[in-house]
Amino acid sequence: MKVIECNQVSKVYGNHHAVDQLSFTIEENKITGLIGRNGAGKTTLLKIIAGYLRKTSGEMNVFSEEPFNNLKVSANMIFVDDQMNFPTALNLGELLKAADSFYENWDMELAKRLFDYFSLNPKQRHDSLSKGMKSTFNMIVGLASRCSLTIFDEPTTGMDVSVRKDFYRALLKDYIAYPRTIILSSHLLNEIEDILEDILLIKDGEKYLHMSVSDVKEYAVGISGEGTIVNQWTKENEILYKKSLGTGSSYVVVKNDFTESMLERAKLAGLKISPVAAEDLCIYLTSKTNGGIDDVFDRS
Amino acid sequence: MIVQGDGTKPIYIQIAEWLETEILSENIKPDEKIYSQYQLAEMYNINPATAAKGLTILANEAVLYKKRGLGMFVSSKAKAIILKKRKGQTLKNLVTDLVSEAKRLDVSEAELIGMIKLANSQGEGK
Repeated sequence: MKVIECNQVSKVYGNHHAVDQLSFTIEENKITGLIGRNGAGKTTLLKIIAGYLRKTSGEMNVFSEEPFNNLKVSANMIFVDDQMNFPTALNLGELLKAADSFYENWDMELAKRLFDYFSLNPKQRHDSLSKGMKSTFNMIVGLASRCSLTIFDEPTTGMDVSVRKDFYRALLKDYIAYPRTIILSSHLLNEIEDILEDILLIKDGEKYLHMSVSDVKEYAVGISGEGTIVNQWTKENEILYKKSLGTGSSYVVVKNDFTESMLERAKLAGLKISPVAAEDLCIYLTSKTNGGIDDVFDRS
Repeated sequence: MIVQGDGTKPIYIQIAEWLETEILSENIKPDEKIYSQYQLAEMYNINPATAAKGLTILANEAVLYKKRGLGMFVSSKAKAIILKKRKGQTLKNLVTDLVSEAKRLDVSEAELIGMIKLANSQGEGK
């Protein structure tokens, strides 16, 4: 079943296209990572899916319905980010009880166990928490609500490394026990890629690629060696990144259109073939130049 | 085994190789049930779809077989298949790497074979 169907959706602010003619579908019970640079349109897109923002044009269906102002979507969806609004009159313990009455699948035992594990104090108020503690509390609400569509927009803001690791593990364990559709946006792809099934990469509000994590990892290949030999082997491929190493040798990342035997022969020709990490690939794909930041300093 | 997240080898292949090693060392015997994708996902902190991909590789190679509704089991020929594969692919790739490094270092074929013989005799002497 398709949980999200997005067809030619745009969101325009003034003359800026935050989301531009975006089309994709997300199947039920998958964990998808939404990746993109700052200002790529990730949050705008997630807020349209969540029904918080009205799209300018196109067609957006969540559970086969238009999400904006939709009761079915808001009852079955939770949107977790660092700006979650909770009533300031309630303390954290009372907030959990309120969430319990709100979400049909709410697991109070899980919420309480996580609450204790992360040493939160039920008497404390949300607006008095530190940045990392706020994110931790929001994450607990996101997990315990067990909504069929769970959206985490940069959920780890302010969390330290160990809390982030605990969060990813908790998310995975609860997902295995209670499969549901999860979208996770993050800048830390290398931290989350293991628990993802698919990656949706957007650039300037447009879809750049949408495929499984394992396909992303095989999408490109890094070739290094003597510059002239590297050029000879990569002249037919799409170059994603290029870097000179010392005199005469270079490292080039190209789209992987090679067959096994071609790579074998390249190795025998003295080239070094290396895989390209998903995070690096996403940086190269969304970069405006082939040389990245080095181009800024290259005045020759 | 700890999954290497540095991208040098796809995780589903690392999972498949770990399962192969478990079968070779007879921690899981023929006709015994192998770990499910969910158990593997939980053990290695990876997405269940990735774990399933590792299992599928082994099922396609007939190292594992499916029993409907019961999961995957180790086939009786599993060990032989794995050994054959490792010789034909893994060892061959290592040799390719060895030869290209030898070329870079100007090591002659005779010299390289000499080194292999030496390493082999030292291995036996242990």
